[in-house]
This record gives sequence, structure tokens and C-alpha cells, in this order.
Amino acid sequence: MQIVIVGVGGQGILFSSKVLGEIALRRGDKVIGSEVHGMSQRGGSVISHFKSGEHFGPLVQNGDADVVLAFDTDEAIRNVSFLRSGGTLIVNCDDPARFEAGTMGEYLRDKDIKVLPVDGYGILREEMGGRFLFLNVMILGALVASDSFGISMEDMESAVADMSPGTIT
Amino acid sequence: MSERRILLGNEAIARGVVESGCAVATAYPGTPSSEILPAIAAYSDEMGTNTQVEWGANEKVALEMAIGACYAGKRSCAVMKQVGLNVAADPFMSVAHQKLDGGLLVVVSDDPGCHASQDDQDSRAYAAAAKIPCFDPSDAREAKAMVADAFDLAGRYGVMAMLRPTVRVDHCRQDVEIMDDVVSQRNAVFDRKPAGKRIVMPAVIHGFLDDHSDRFEAIRGEFGAMDRYNFEVPCEEPARLGIIACGISYSVVRDILNRLGRKDVSILKIGTPVPLPVNLVEDFVDRHDRVLVLEETQPVVEGQILNRTAVMGRWNGWVPKTGELVPEVVESVLLRVLGVEEDLSEREVFNKIEEELSPEKRRPRLCPGCSHRPAYFSIRKAFPDAVVASDIGCYGLAIAQNAVDTNICMGGSVTAASGIYLAFKADGKGADRPIFATLGDSTFFHSGMTGLATAVYNRHAFVLVILDNRITAMTGGQDHPGTGDKMRSGEEGVSVSIEEAVKGCGVKWLSVLDPYDIEKNEKTIEKAWEYASSNGEPAVIVFRHPCITMLKVKPEYRPVKVDPSVCIGCGICIRDFNCPGLVWNQTTGKAMVDDRYCVNCGVCVAVCPKGAIVSEGGDR
Repeated sequence: MQIVIVGVGGQGILFSSKVLGEIALRRGDKVIGSEVHGMSQRGGSVISHFKSGEHFGPLVQNGDADVVLAFDTDEAIRNVSFLRSGGTLIVNCDDPARFEAGTMGEYLRDKDIKVLPVDGYGILREEMGGRFLFLNVMILGALVASDSFGISMEDMESAVADMSPGTIT
Repeated sequence: MSERRILLGNEAIARGVVESGCAVATAYPGTPSSEILPAIAAYSDEMGTNTQVEWGANEKVALEMAIGACYAGKRSCAVMKQVGLNVAADPFMSVAHQKLDGGLLVVVSDDPGCHASQDDQDSRAYAAAAKIPCFDPSDAREAKAMVADAFDLAGRYGVMAMLRPTVRVDHCRQDVEIMDDVVSQRNAVFDRKPAGKRIVMPAVIHGFLDDHSDRFEAIRGEFGAMDRYNFEVPCEEPARLGIIACGISYSVVRDILNRLGRKDVSILKIGTPVPLPVNLVEDFVDRHDRVLVLEETQPVVEGQILNRTAVMGRWNGWVPKTGELVPEVVESVLLRVLGVEEDLSEREVFNKIEEELSPEKRRPRLCPGCSHRPAYFSIRKAFPDAVVASDIGCYGLAIAQNAVDTNICMGGSVTAASGIYLAFKADGKGADRPIFATLGDSTFFHSGMTGLATAVYNRHAFVLVILDNRITAMTGGQDHPGTGDKMRSGEEGVSVSIEEAVKGCGVKWLSVLDPYDIEKNEKTIEKAWEYASSNGEPAVIVFRHPCITMLKVKPEYRPVKVDPSVCIGCGICIRDFNCPGLVWNQTTGKAMVDDRYCVNCGVCVAVCPKGAIVSEGGDR
């Protein structure tokens, strides 16, 4: 399984990759991945790579990702090249048309890539009083629903609870 | 007892350090090495060791402390990033040829691709220059194992050893086996005999150098037999190509060969590039018609191969001469070497997609609510034309608000300001514009004080601005002498006062300000330059406000909105203040608040010349 998580510094991407690692470890899988620290956390583009199974290096190569989790629409556009044929793109997006029209739409259809848009900010604004720090957990929920990693909701909930730094106010 | 945990490469290194019985661990933070020392503290707490874990004010200080501990017979280690080794180069080169009692490990993290650095220098070249053994790990597991071997080797030969992870090893996350046992170590003892063995003086140095050289060659022999780090991965079919791969490049190329299904390429993995086990390498080269060398960042192994007629690498351009060897680059090199045409058609599709959808480019910038932003805004407002030297830290990101003009290295702002002043003085006149130097609290203690003492001594007219956010922020929030806090649980340090240090350097004009108070600060900034220029000496302003991100300090709640009937769309708030919480509305041609990023600090109210940014809960 190879997953690439993309977004912007401060969206909780590192936390999400830690949760995926914990789930894989509990299954007894080998895990290797790569994180970005330092400069890129200051609002710049952030990419986290995650691989479980038999791999040597931590980086996912273009065309190899089973899933791209995109916390941000623009970062999804820039990183769609990571996806393999038949892969899944889960994207925080308030305008799904960007993935349906033009060359992008054509490419995704040609490669049989499934697109699951989630209006993360819209939903969090409506349902959670604008507490946007829950975006990462929401995207992880969408990953469970997509069934592309074979994770049960219970496993995800317990990994998220165990990896959470403490009470969130 | 052992257990499998998912660790960051840096945590794996830290675990190795503690399991090896290291008694004193020191560092100065720097990406990608920053997580190592705090993890050493955490594992020492967890395993109940008495490891002394301390931040030095800079890398030179950190390494010298570790050397001292080694003089007293203990295992010790110093951790830094590659440019930190430049700061520590003096003790590094001098101690290299001393015979040490304990066991000294230097962990230096390189940053190929310059993800968070001003250069991509290869620290293995430093190891070669100093003639010390260097380990180049391929993943987190190997990095941990190498720490144990490096300490063992350092202890047996009395040498300083280097572990040189690169960013992808530091920041990989991998399942790693950890142990509960700690290698037991002798008590501290300072052995004075033979007299003068720790004195580096010309009269005795020649004997040291020969002895050091002999030990280096003996280690080369030992590396030749160390087949857990230096080994061949043979191929099933006759080899069309041999690859010598070091560090992370080994992991990368293994995945690529699997992906391409190539069974006609063999690999020689080299985990100990210095001193290079030359026999292994030359034998491998002899057995292959063509050999590709993959290493980061400079041709350190490649350069040690005497007969390079069959060798393809960085020096002859088969491998790009600069930059990180990410999988896409390695695959492209490999296909070219194997004479396979690369399919570039998809690249064109992606270019077209980007063209059509033009995704917003995101460069790193100061966090919403960051205190550096209003500090720089105030300096630029007071003196739009000033020279503003900046330094290494978050504040370099003020380039996005067009506020900074230079940065070199840690502390380089102070001394560059001195030099700019002197350039005008050489023409027999004062500077044609105000000169400012700006640096952070941690950077001031690192390398700013020496420059300030020099400026006071020589009477250099400029304003030094210390952006004191009470933390080393850029590297993830580490303590420093100014904060006084320490890492091991139950330990307390003493906070060193920036004001007292400044006064101690002889500065006579000093003012401490809250950077959030933009309107008031503009006048003080003007006064500071007036004092500096008319008295011919440095004036100092300390902008003090805790880091909003690392110290999780919530600003006083002052929500704002942009009144579209007042906003004239001049763009000053976007251009010169440049907060992620304020964005440009393409449709209306006016600024607006982005509630996804705004932290409600209310500072931007003072930024708008028309008063269009208004506080929703009254004025600030």
C-alpha cells in the first residue's frame, strides 16, 4: 500500500501519517514513509509519503500511489501524478468540477482514478463551528469510507484516539 | 527484551545513542537534525539513564562539551545539521587527530535538495578531510545499528566517529526494533597520563598525525570486513551494469530495480564511505563493464575510486551534478545508462493540467499571528529605504513582505550590517540610508553576541533588532540560554537575560518593545537609528512576543473584518504585511479576511492606511 498525503503546513498532515503508520504496525505490516519538517511547515506545500509492505525507500514514486489524500485542492492538482492507474484521490474541495473538466478530467478517466471530493471546510464550518483543526480526522474518515486501505472505522478511531496529543478544546 | 515501534529516523538514532550508554549528548537544533536531542532526553527518561542532555548555544559549543566529556572517559555525542558543522569545524578538525579516552560520536544531518538549508554540502567530505570514520545510513533501522557500531569503533580506536544521515533518513518513519538494555560504561575519570596527550601544540603534533593516520588505515581494513553495511546484491542474470549506492540512494535504487523488474543490474552497497573499503570497490568495478555511482550530495566515494574509466557519476555528468537523488531522478538516470527511452508523454499531460488549473504556488511564510511580521512592517514603515540585514531563522521568511535584504549564516546579520556601515565609512561619509540588522533570540546567543561586541568596540552605527519570541522557532521549538528551560524531566536551567548580555557588550541605547504595537513602535525605531547614526555606535531594540505556533500562546481575541466600502484595493496589507489570514478577493478587487487561517490577533488593524481593517470587538 502506498499513500501520499499532500496539503499545506499546519493542516495536520504529520498526524495523519502517524495514524496510518500505527494502523499498519498493529496489522503487523512493515512500514516506511517520509515526512517534511522545518521550513515547509510554515504555510508552504507539505508532502508526506507512506508505504506499507515490502519496500526499501521512504518515497512514493510518481505513478505508484494507491491513494492520494489531498487536504487542499491546489496541492491535489499539483500531485495527481503520484497516483497509479485505478488509484483513489480523496480531496478536500469545494469545487469538484476542477477534477471533472478539461485535461484533468480526461486524465483521471483514462487512468480510471476514483475521485472522492469532500467539502471539508464547508462541513466543518457548518457542523463544527469552524474548528478547522479537525480537517485531518475528517479526511482520515473519508479514507475509511473509500475502503481503499481496508481499514475499519473501529481501527481508525482507536488509532486516532491513541495518537492524539491530548484533549482538544 | 525488544519491541517494534514506528520511529522517525531521528528517534531511531536517539534510541541508539541511549542504548549505547552515551553519557553526555549535546546539540544545537537545525533541520533535519533537530528531533534527535529531545528524543535522547525522552528515551533517557524512559530507560532511566543519567544521560546529560543539553543544548549548546551553538554547534561549536556543543561539540566542545562533548569532547570534554570524552576527555573524562565517557561516551558522548554532539548533534548538528550540515551547516552547523561549519560552525563546529574548528574543534572538529583539531580533535580529529587526538587519541580520545571515551568514545566520541558526531551526528551530522545533511540536507540534499536544500529543503531547509542554505546549501547542500556533503559532510562526508568533512570526515575525509579530518580522516575520521563515517557511517552513511540507508534507513532508520540501519542508522540505529550504525550508532552502536560507531561508538564501539570510536572507543576502540580512540577516534571521533561520524554518523551522516541525510534528510530522508532523518525524517523517514519506519518500524524499528528497540532494546531495553543499555551498554554499561565506566565511571568518569580524567587520566592525566601520558602528559600532554590532549594538548595540540606544534611541538607534539607530528607524532599525533602519524598515529592518527595509522588508526585511519586500520579502520579502513575493518570496514572492508563489515559486511552488514558494505555488501553486494547480485543479480540473477549476467550483469549489464553495476551500481555503487550509498545512503538513501541504496534504498531508492532497490525499489526502482524491483519496479522495473530488472534482473541484470547488481549493486554494491557502501555504508562506510570514509575511509572507503577500496578493495571491495575496486574488485566490484573490475568485474563490471560499466559502474554507476549513486550518492548524495558530492562525489565522495566516486572520487576515491582511482580508475574511473568505467565509472559514471556526478563528476562526468551521468548523474546530475547537484541536487537530491529522488526516485524520479534516479530512474531517469538509470534508464539513460541502460539505453532505455523514458516515456515523457505523461509529463506533458501534467504540464497541461497545471496550465489549465493554475494551482496556487505556496511558499513558506510567517505564521498568522507571528510577531516577526509586525516587527518588520514597523521597520519598513519607519524607513522604507533601509538596508535590513536578516539572519537564519523564521524571520528570513519576511522576504515575502519585501522586508529583508540579506542573509548569510547564523549571526551574519550583525556583522553584515557592520560591513555595510564600513563600506560607506571608507568613502568618508555616513551611510546613505538607515542600516538595520535583525536576528532571533536563539540566533543572538548562537553567534550574534560576538558580532555585537565587535560593533561596539569599533563604533559601528546601525540598529540591531533582536526578535525575541522566547524559543528556537524555525527548527520546531527548542529551548536556548534565553528561555532557561531544559529537556530532561526534573531539570531546571537559568535564563540568560538578552538585555544584560546586550548591555554587557557595551551597548548604551536599548529599548524593549511588543511588536504587536505597530503604531508606537514606528517612533521608537526612528529614535534608535537617530541615536546610532548621530553617536556612531549600535543601538539595540528587543522585540519581545512569544512564538504563536511553538509556544501555543493564543493572542488576545480581536476578530477583524475588512470593510469593503472603505477598502480602496491598494494591496498594502497583502504586499507589505502578507498575513495568510488576509487574502485578495479577485472578484471585488479588495482585501478580505480568510477565516481558515486568521487567528484573530487584530494586529492588522494598524496596517491599513485607510482604516478599512476594523476590529469587530472595538479598537485595539
